[in-house]
Amino acid sequence: MEPEEPAKPRRGELRIYLGAAPGVGKTFAMLGEARRRLDRGTDVVLGLVETHGRKKTAELVAGIETVPRRHVEHRGHAFDEMDLDAILARKPEVAVIDELAHTNVPGSKHEKRWQDVHDLLDAGIDVLSTVNVQHLQSLNDVVERITGVAQQETVPDEVVRKAEQLELVDITPEALRRRLAHGNVYPAERIDAALGNYFRPGNLTALRELALLWVADQVDVALQRYRAEQSITETWEARERVVVSITGGPESETLIRRGSRIAARAGAELLVLHILRGDGLSGLGPMAVGKYRKLTEEVGATFHTVVGDDVPTALLDFARGVNATQLVIGTSRRSRVARLFDEGIGAAVVRESGAIDVHIVTHEQAGGRLRARLAGSPLTPSRQVLGWILALVLPSLATLIGVFLRDDLDFSTDVIGYVLATVIVALVGGLGPALLAAILGAGLLNFFFTPPLYTLTVHAPRNVVTLIAMVVVAVLVALVVDTAARRATQAARARTEAALLASYARTVLTHSAPLERLLEKVRENFGLTSVTLLEKRDAKWQRVAVAGHDPCADPDEADVDIAVTADVHLALRGRALPAADRRVLEAVAGQALMALRQQRMAAATAKAERKAETTELRTALLSAVGHDLRTPLTSIKASIGSLRAPDLFLSAEDTGELLEAIELSADRLAGLIDNLLDSSRLATGAVRPHLRPVGYDEVVAHALSNVDDSESVVVAVDERLPSVLADPGLLERVVANVIDNALRHGANTAGEPVSARASTHSEYVELRIVDHGRGLRKGTADSAFAPFQRLGGDRDTTPGVGLGLSVAKGFTEAMGGSIRAEDTPGGGLTVVISLPAYRGQDPEKDLLAFDETFENKERVR
Amino acid sequence: MSLDHAATVLVVDDEPQIVRALRINLSARGYKVITAHDGTAALKAVAETKPDVVVLDLGLPDMDGTEVIGGLRGWTTVPIIVLSARGDSADKVEALDAGADDYVTKPFGMDELLARLRAAVRRSAVSPVDGAEAIVDTGSFTIDLAAKKVRREGKEVHLTKTEWGVLELLVRNRGRLVAQKQLLHDVWGPTYETESHYLRVYLAQLRRKLEPEPSRPRHLLTEPGMGYRFEI
Repeated sequence: MEPEEPAKPRRGELRIYLGAAPGVGKTFAMLGEARRRLDRGTDVVLGLVETHGRKKTAELVAGIETVPRRHVEHRGHAFDEMDLDAILARKPEVAVIDELAHTNVPGSKHEKRWQDVHDLLDAGIDVLSTVNVQHLQSLNDVVERITGVAQQETVPDEVVRKAEQLELVDITPEALRRRLAHGNVYPAERIDAALGNYFRPGNLTALRELALLWVADQVDVALQRYRAEQSITETWEARERVVVSITGGPESETLIRRGSRIAARAGAELLVLHILRGDGLSGLGPMAVGKYRKLTEEVGATFHTVVGDDVPTALLDFARGVNATQLVIGTSRRSRVARLFDEGIGAAVVRESGAIDVHIVTHEQAGGRLRARLAGSPLTPSRQVLGWILALVLPSLATLIGVFLRDDLDFSTDVIGYVLATVIVALVGGLGPALLAAILGAGLLNFFFTPPLYTLTVHAPRNVVTLIAMVVVAVLVALVVDTAARRATQAARARTEAALLASYARTVLTHSAPLERLLEKVRENFGLTSVTLLEKRDAKWQRVAVAGHDPCADPDEADVDIAVTADVHLALRGRALPAADRRVLEAVAGQALMALRQQRMAAATAKAERKAETTELRTALLSAVGHDLRTPLTSIKASIGSLRAPDLFLSAEDTGELLEAIELSADRLAGLIDNLLDSSRLATGAVRPHLRPVGYDEVVAHALSNVDDSESVVVAVDERLPSVLADPGLLERVVANVIDNALRHGANTAGEPVSARASTHSEYVELRIVDHGRGLRKGTADSAFAPFQRLGGDRDTTPGVGLGLSVAKGFTEAMGGSIRAEDTPGGGLTVVISLPAYRGQDPEKDLLAFDETFENKERVR
Repeated sequence: MSLDHAATVLVVDDEPQIVRALRINLSARGYKVITAHDGTAALKAVAETKPDVVVLDLGLPDMDGTEVIGGLRGWTTVPIIVLSARGDSADKVEALDAGADDYVTKPFGMDELLARLRAAVRRSAVSPVDGAEAIVDTGSFTIDLAAKKVRREGKEVHLTKTEWGVLELLVRNRGRLVAQKQLLHDVWGPTYETESHYLRVYLAQLRRKLEPEPSRPRHLLTEPGMGYRFEI
């Protein structure tokens, strides 16, 4: 026994509030907890809390003791840092310390704040702290991919994971954006392009998911720890579990690999199940089992074997037993036609799976050809083989019994023995084996039991009758069996046909391209190379729709040709089909014709609708243009009329004014005509962008020189941002139109200027034109870009036909970019133009390296 | 405007109103004006009259504007200024590639066309740096081409070697469009003709050093996607 150590001082507990993004309310929640503890009489101090100027937060801080910060000078800048030593000296029960990921100013005791927190915990002080998900080290690169912003400040996951309590502070992205828009998170002047971008709904949703998943993972770990500690063995799973079912055929490898991918994507556990049939028919050789077991281990899964006759039931029982959420099975290895007569394991599993998702995976072994049936018989080959064997064995058996028990049995009993044998053979093997059994039986009966014994001669007429009766019985029973089997087959076939026809009908009714899909289905179901719908137009055959490769150009080339009408034929190629299949195909051909007509009707309707829309557009255009074109034209005509009037004497000043009016009106006309022209080019699809790398800085400068009253626009576009791939001319029109719109609608009483800001986001570079005007009415963000739209409604008297933004959208999209309208925080409209960044720059040819004295000026935001 | 006197301008356009307006205006400014209404007539007129500069509309009735440029460039280096429709970068690029020197977008202001004309005539009047031209004053800053110095508000501005290379090339071609490719080729070398991104960075750097309002340049202008132009 070791000597007893002095009682170890209690280590403090760490409680962390984790959030998806700034502004979700971490600090607020943390301070709420601090207040509760304070009210309970706990000794709480604030080690460091940033209120970010938020009023509600500041209210919570008031009244809690704060340890003064330490002032540090570093390279001529002053910093306020947490005073670790002062807190240690103060020795409270609980210290509240914001922003766990913070990096201390160089020269501090520790590099990172979380290290300071460790010192506090070691000293037995409980700590409340906050961290954002983007600061977690393991998520750093993921967050950068989502947001396009690299995070400098990180916390090792271990630190957060080891916290005694981890609380997720979660609000919906919409609520957070509302907070942002109301100015509750940052003051309006701090919200620039980059920040606004960080708070895009897509970003926030992704970050929230990350945070939720990370915490869920921690909860899972905690759960496992708890279960291990409490020795709980029954399954309680919150996580995904994927079961792959293999039969042992060569496709098993594909299935296991596919299952492993599915599991990896879902972060799920993978189990491989091998089902051993009770009859041993589909069992694997031990070699094959070993191979798949090894593969299973390689992909990090577990291998299980169950025995069961009914594969779907065995599979689902197992899956439910292990709480599986997803099942992976292969498509059938049987031929397509064979599957017509039996729904197969896949369909049964899907039907019975309930809450478990089923993936049916295709593989190279799928769908062989129909094996040749023994000609003429509806019975399966195995049954017929068995029949032939029994036809030889059973009469011999009857003879043996009769000979051994000759003294105890009379002739009629012997006869019954043979008849019984014949009937059994007929039931199993049908007509052929039955006849063999009857003739063999009759011969044996004659030879062994009818006098004279051991000859094939028949004396008594009654024995002749017996022999004939046996043959007749054999034939009759066999016929009944044959008929029954034939009926069963027919019924199955009819069922399949009905199901097929119903599925075809559904395709025609519901699919978006019914004809192609229908033909493709037929091709699949009947195992053909191609299915073609041919139509005769102007005495020539034309392909209306094709499925598969190597289609027929003419009905004569087809292996099976079905005439729907004289002019429409369904031509199948690949193999000859039995007559029974033709019946289904004729029905299909009828449906194909229907689908064709339906498709043509739909096209005609769409055309009519387009026409109506065009007419509507034209009317709107005419009324808008009528006014907007005529006004400047009138002013030009009036001015010129005045200038040329022979009887009028004008002062130089008047002449100048008239001339100015002419020039302004002409400019207005030019602008309007440009937009009209651009709209019609967009409408007719005549815009062909000439993409090349170009910088937003250049385009904005050039666009501003062509927009009236653009002196007030604040430009903050860093020329060092990557170039975008765009058509410079088109992009200039886009920017000019958006800025023009912002200047006309974005005026506000406070005189806040329109601004243009650019920022880069992984694959895209965005330009934001921000105004502080009336903005959009709620829910009208999409219609802002519709033509003839004036955001202010009918009473808007600002000039312009409302084509500017619609042209901007059309051009941006033609260049492979996107444009969207957002609310400016604090009110107003922000239009965001997003174009793909140009990546063709040769990194080897860094021209800046030419100039050693190239000065790296401070970045313009 | 002493330089421009008696310079001959060939105006090629099929729209009589435009031709008329240009003829009156240019004649009044001392240019000798010849006109042509289609491509064939233009080619003939250049051969016969040897103008100092050609103003060419790209949309002609008989042949494509770029074909006319091609026909001329076969044998003459006469400066060609192209009139092109707005928003059609492809047209402009094609015309510049075919050998046009500069372009003006329709509808254009008379001032703009005159500035291009002056620059073009200056080029055709072969002018290496002589004493009178060595110092260029923009009002905002002064460039001394001989001493390789730039002064702004009386103080010398330090430029790196490359910055000076870019600025010098633009100033020597003042008023004229200098294609990105040409700048890259002349300043950095033939293997860098496609690295236009860095050019953007250098121009911005120059603007910050020289322009009174860098985000709204007045002297170091960009024609997005085409090239750069220095205007006094």
